[in-house]
Amino acid sequence: MHARAGVLAVLLVVLALGAVWATHQGPVPMPVIPRAPGHCVLPTASMRRTHMMLLRAVREEIVRHDARDTRFRITHCVACHVEHTASGQPIPVNAPGQFCATCHTYVGVHIDCFACHAAVPRNPMKFGGIGGSNSVQAAFRIPQALRGRFLSGGAGGGR
Amino acid sequence: MNDERRGQPLIDAVAGDEAPDSARRRLLKMAGAAVALTLAPGVTVLARDLVLKGGRKARSPVRYGLLIDANACKTGCDACVRACQDYNGLSHDPGPDNAQWIRKVTITDPGTGFTRSFPVMCQHCEDGACVDVCPTGASFRRPDGIVLVDKHRCIGCRYCLMACPYKARSFVGRVVTDQRPWAPRGKGTAEGCTMCVERVMAGKQPACVAACQKAGHKAMMFGNLHDPKSAIAVRLSKVATTTIRADLGMGPGVHYRGI
Ligand code: SF4
Ligand code: SF4
Repeated sequence: MHARAGVLAVLLVVLALGAVWATHQGPVPMPVIPRAPGHCVLPTASMRRTHMMLLRAVREEIVRHDARDTRFRITHCVACHVEHTASGQPIPVNAPGQFCATCHTYVGVHIDCFACHAAVPRNPMKFGGIGGSNSVQAAFRIPQALRGRFLSGGAGGGR
Repeated sequence: MNDERRGQPLIDAVAGDEAPDSARRRLLKMAGAAVALTLAPGVTVLARDLVLKGGRKARSPVRYGLLIDANACKTGCDACVRACQDYNGLSHDPGPDNAQWIRKVTITDPGTGFTRSFPVMCQHCEDGACVDVCPTGASFRRPDGIVLVDKHRCIGCRYCLMACPYKARSFVGRVVTDQRPWAPRGKGTAEGCTMCVERVMAGKQPACVAACQKAGHKAMMFGNLHDPKSAIAVRLSKVATTTIRADLGMGPGVHYRGI
């Protein structure tokens, strides 16, 4: 944890220096981050620092413990932060200049998320009609009887 | 198959015409004996199976499963397969390196010519070989009986593909694009039927079951096997059903009628 905090601190310093360098010298333009409509699930400053930790923590909760009703879903990030072309086509969030790509290109951090995850939202109504987790409003129910088991139990769980 | 019904033939063999209760007691005694036999090769699975039936493990209130009626399933119909591919973003092309989460299987008795066609997918086993062999814990069983691959942990060793006797797992060997947000999948990981977990958690039926109903065949039923009042449990208590390769003792959650 100390090591991580250290790495993070170094990263922030590098970022800050980069920003200073960028504003004063200009060789690396500051990323222009597309703005999403509405409010994020956390204040911007918190998201900037912790989104990677949040995503890593909830992926475990969602896949293994079925906490599908969490706010911190990558599908929700995509649904809000996706940009559209003039003709209304969604642009992948990891495409150059898009929300995820701008900062990660700037700091030189490669992201793997979209090797598996969809980088554009899809309307679940068009794919068999129902279900899917595209919408922030989608209410996912964990059977009440299982809630405790999912949240405390690990792999395998009860029988 | 639910816990009581699993291994029923074994109980019959042991018990003859004894009352079920005393048969169960004898079985429990046997379980103790069988555990001691685990040193001998080949009896470990049997011992574990007996111990399971001894009721040491708590029964989960929810176990999702399927009932597939091969009498109602139509030869040549692939509505369930197509629905799965559409919903989960799989290719329609049955090429050798394309993932297959559900497939239609046709069986024929060479003696009589009796033919049946029905879908086979991950059987969401109670004690799946895929879970046993996975070196990373990526292949796991949820408390509600759904067996999934945690692709964040999967290292793509393909051990589960080899181990699953139902050939239910596929390996993604190429870069995938155009995934569905509700079904992430990517190169280098194993995958299989998820019982449309996102739909199920939203209170809907799996895509295949919905498609079969829409096609008017009503050959597939989904529900909670452990709720005696659920439609699927009621049906299972009324008609003769079986599971594929029940002899392996993995306790599939997918039941078949008419095969
Ligand atoms: S059918 Fe195969 S992949 Fe599915 S749970 Fe059973 S062993 Fe695992
Ligand atoms: S391919 Fe993945 S899920 Fe299958 S056994 Fe290997 S690590 Fe586990």
